[in-house]
Amino acid sequence: MKQTISNPPKAPVKVALVEDKPGVRESWVKLINSLPGFSCVNACASGEEALRIIPAVNPDVVLMDIFLPRMSGIECTARLKLQLPKLQILILTAVEDDELVFMALEAGADGFLLKRTTPEDLRVAMLDVLGGGAPMTSEIARRVVESFRRAGRQPKQDVHLTTREEEVLILLSKGYSNKEIASQLAIGTETVGSHLKHIYEKMHVRSRAEAVVRYMTGKA
Amino acid sequence: MSRLEKTSRLGLSARRAGHGLRLMLLALALLPAAVFAADSPPAGTNWVFEATNHLGQWIWDTNTLDKQTCRFWKSFTIPAGAKVASAILRITVDNGYSLYLDGREIGRGSDWRTVTKYDVTRLVDPGRHSLGVEGFNDRLEAGLIFGLEIQLVDQRTIEIVSDNSWLVVPDAGRNWIARKNALTGWHPAIVVGSINHHPWEIWPFGLTTGPLLLPLVVHFWQTGWFQLSLLAACVLALWFSLWLMTQLSAQTQAQKFLRVERARIARDIHDDLGAQLTQLVLLGEVAQREQPEDSAARTQFNQVCLLARALSHGLDEVVWAVNSRRDTLRDFASYVCKYAQVFLNPTPIRCRLDAEPELPPAMFDLPLRRNLFLAAKEALNNAAKHSGATELFLRIYRAGHKLVVTVEDNGRGFDPAQLGGERNGMANMTQRMAEIAGGCEVFSQPGGGCRVVFTVPLENRAQRGWLDWLRRRPATDAGSVGVSPALEKTIDIP
Repeated sequence: MKQTISNPPKAPVKVALVEDKPGVRESWVKLINSLPGFSCVNACASGEEALRIIPAVNPDVVLMDIFLPRMSGIECTARLKLQLPKLQILILTAVEDDELVFMALEAGADGFLLKRTTPEDLRVAMLDVLGGGAPMTSEIARRVVESFRRAGRQPKQDVHLTTREEEVLILLSKGYSNKEIASQLAIGTETVGSHLKHIYEKMHVRSRAEAVVRYMTGKA
Repeated sequence: MSRLEKTSRLGLSARRAGHGLRLMLLALALLPAAVFAADSPPAGTNWVFEATNHLGQWIWDTNTLDKQTCRFWKSFTIPAGAKVASAILRITVDNGYSLYLDGREIGRGSDWRTVTKYDVTRLVDPGRHSLGVEGFNDRLEAGLIFGLEIQLVDQRTIEIVSDNSWLVVPDAGRNWIARKNALTGWHPAIVVGSINHHPWEIWPFGLTTGPLLLPLVVHFWQTGWFQLSLLAACVLALWFSLWLMTQLSAQTQAQKFLRVERARIARDIHDDLGAQLTQLVLLGEVAQREQPEDSAARTQFNQVCLLARALSHGLDEVVWAVNSRRDTLRDFASYVCKYAQVFLNPTPIRCRLDAEPELPPAMFDLPLRRNLFLAAKEALNNAAKHSGATELFLRIYRAGHKLVVTVEDNGRGFDPAQLGGERNGMANMTQRMAEIAGGCEVFSQPGGGCRVVFTVPLENRAQRGWLDWLRRRPATDAGSVGVSPALEKTIDIP
């Protein structure tokens, strides 16, 4: 993986952080700043603060803690994505809870990381997401396929996966890597990545109408 | 007798006073008319005589009142050894009655102008019997007229008729209708009129036949002792089921409590220990970066980070095992798949998953999932250590009422008959599966890869219910959920 990202961008990547615990927040800031080519431009203590500050700062990537007091990381992600659709948001979780991760992805998150991840993996994940990639685990792939199939049975649902997208997801759920999927389907590795990106977008589109109702009307 | 009847009678006596001969003619003319007025005139020519045959005199209490209820009692004896050929009873009461023989109701009547005939042949046998009549007077004159003719086989006849030997029972109660002997407070009835005399000149003029009366057959289920013991059995059964239910609900309560408690422990471990471990990792990383490259301190901090990460990983496993929210089949499958992927990631073995899609979120209790997971983990471990495979298939699916987990590699394989000490894990796997009534089979041959198949019975909770509870009861306190050494071992830091 390290070799694939050969030319990091010259201008440092602007990273914003949303984390409620002060000590942890400080460590993250130090860690991000220590990564070559990255700079932490803002660290928010709450989702409310993030909504106020992040649009003004306009970072490239946001690292979002999932458990925040009052407004959750998932809700904050949904609201930020409504304002800044191009913003890349990575969810940080302490434990890989598929349900939470799935909810976060539906809310518009572009990926997720375990908090105990190594700095190197963090760097790679951020570059990956900026480069248009969309990391997805086999378990999440399985859930995505299931959720689209379930939704497909409802006549009102107009967002569907293409056959190719479903093929990609099924291979992914069986444990194949992006590279293996590419060779199986005789397509480029980047194409696999863009398929995944589209799937993320569809998940988001599908849940957006619902999310608007959920986040905007009730609590705005 | 009602007022209307009374006026017509008055008319009759007036004419009788004035014109003797015409009265007789009139009476003769009136009689058939009265006959047609009767509800059910019996067939036959001698009905008038038969209606009044064998009857005694009209009797009543010393006082006659409107709306009066009067109880009459009379006993009679059929000599020992006698055989009853027939016993015919005739009765009517102005205005109505209920008739009892030996406490059993024989019949009721409310049309006082008609005598009712009852055949009680089968009800009277040698010995003492009692008759009870509860008469009711609506208005004005009142009387009971009665006759019982018992023909014995030896031509003897016993006749019991209404007369002043009958006793009036002033108050109901003390089971008077069934009494064989009179009580001291009972006084004799008085004769209030003779048959076909004033004021009952032309009555009764009809005869109806009551239903055939047969001796009561008391079935065993009608007997007192049987009903009593049945009741006792019912009460006992009810009590037992109530007891079972309370026990069961106590147990469900305990299980529910355990589940809630497990979820709490999982949350606590995750929130406190997990968060602090994450913080430790972060601090370690930051500290590491503040040290100069290749310094001893940096290497040591790196070690701290590695350890903390491994610890955090192990903790996740404990949290997963303890957390009751994860007690489902679906969660189990996704967890094992994820584990296999992460575990095999640093190895040259590619992990292929084949989990049944849309596994139901059915209950899959802690002992089952923990043992099955640890067994599968062992199989993965063996494959990673010994197989030299390039590909491993992890399959999870249901077959009938069983859950099947297979771990299959394309490695060098081995001869299962010659398992050395090196593969101690095998015994471990077999034992884990035996603990949960599951099976573990190993298929392998040198050069042909290895396939380990685990099967676990999936039970329907609703079907288990009581039997299972009874079977498991003695072990309830032993705790099927307590943290066993096996669980503690899951936190193994490499």
